[in-house]
Amino acid sequence: MNSHDNSSVEEKREGRRLFLGGLLTSALLTIGVKAEGRLLSSPVTTNRLRPPGAVSEKIFLGTCIRCGRCVEVCPYHCIIPLDTRHGVHAGTPLISVEKIPCYLCMKCVQICPTGTLRPLRQEETRMGMAVVNRHLCYTWLGQTLCRTCYNVCPFTDKAIRLDELRPVIEEKHCTGCGLCTHACPITAEDGSKAVNIEPVYSRDGLV
Amino acid sequence: MSSGVNRQHIRRWRLLVQSGAFLLIVIAPFLNFYLQIDFVQGWYQSIGIGKLWFVSPLEGLESILVAKRLYLPLLVAMVVPVLLAFFMGRVFCGWICPIHFLSDLSDRFIRIFSGKKFRKDHLLLPKTLLWYVLPAELLLTMILGAPLFVFLSPPGLVGREMMMAVFFHTLTPEGLVVVAVLAANLVTQRMFCRYFCPLGALLALIGSKRKLTILHDPTTCTECGLCRRSCPLGLDPQQGEGQSPYCWNCGECVESCKEGSLQLRWWTRSR
Repeated sequence: MNSHDNSSVEEKREGRRLFLGGLLTSALLTIGVKAEGRLLSSPVTTNRLRPPGAVSEKIFLGTCIRCGRCVEVCPYHCIIPLDTRHGVHAGTPLISVEKIPCYLCMKCVQICPTGTLRPLRQEETRMGMAVVNRHLCYTWLGQTLCRTCYNVCPFTDKAIRLDELRPVIEEKHCTGCGLCTHACPITAEDGSKAVNIEPVYSRDGLV
Repeated sequence: MSSGVNRQHIRRWRLLVQSGAFLLIVIAPFLNFYLQIDFVQGWYQSIGIGKLWFVSPLEGLESILVAKRLYLPLLVAMVVPVLLAFFMGRVFCGWICPIHFLSDLSDRFIRIFSGKKFRKDHLLLPKTLLWYVLPAELLLTMILGAPLFVFLSPPGLVGREMMMAVFFHTLTPEGLVVVAVLAANLVTQRMFCRYFCPLGALLALIGSKRKLTILHDPTTCTECGLCRRSCPLGLDPQQGEGQSPYCWNCGECVESCKEGSLQLRWWTRSR
């Protein structure tokens, strides 16, 4: 009788253990599947760019050894190493141009030991391309005559020129440094500016 | 031979080199951040001193294997560490690696507080485990397409945490790896270094025919076993394990030997 009791208690415990184990596994799986997208997908999006001279985003993950030398050498502290929340991309450098843009000092490309950032000249840099949001820009909306982006652009009249006093990006010359994005006085609800940098080259990088 | 003969003051020299190497990665972020002096950048994944670059061989190898392309400056930056390992074995581990330095420091503290001269290892695994870790890590790296050791290298993480603290006044969760590796020392001394460090394995492999080794003189040896007990890697210099690839030439056994039967020496195998 006693032993019978014992075994039933044991069975109950076993069942509970199985149930809890199953719960834990499914919870982990859900988290895993949900996080997977974020853990594996590239952190490069609008206004989130790799430093100058970066190789294609396809191999960036593999070539970058996360040595952090570009982060240390950047005098403007615009290059930030990603943390574990970015999964396999943790430790790789990223620039948030609306916070601190790249001033194209070209120090990082000279010290990268793995060639993940290739040495190149200022005007050859293609971190992305500025795109004016004409539904947000005061000048394009005809509300004021703002030309902040035109004034701060390091390649005045080349990368940004004025067309009937409205800013227009010249795709051939824009380096995607983000000075215009940083300076733009308009911020939309989603945090974007009236001029944003799109990482249009990140898939090919500089060959 | 009486005690005190052949003292090479290795422990003192090692502490000096280790402290210097550690200070370098502590001071460099401050210089970079506050004074904009970028003469030294990086830490022991890749460090640049002026125009002289070093890249840790394993990190460099992973980068090449994953990206499947060669970049000449990367190869050049790996030359000095590889030569160092070729002639002197795992001296990076024994004399430079910040993990070993921190472990050494904590050992000293434990020794002072516990009053015991030697620590016992509670879990012993086969030494050869180290040789399986390296190919396993490289294979996994190539399968994932992401360099693994680069992302979770304990010596590298020490430097990264230091930089994060100075630059962004924060620490990253990866730093827990360092804590875990140091905590594992409580179970077995240098548990990670002994059995699981792929960088240590690569350096040991490169230095398997190294010139700088611990020489044992059996004629003066009294087989007291002090060297075996003092070895942080659990090797037995009396059995000639000071010449095995596992040994990282730290010289603890030489310091412990009362008879002067052990010496850190250059030698030629053809002798």
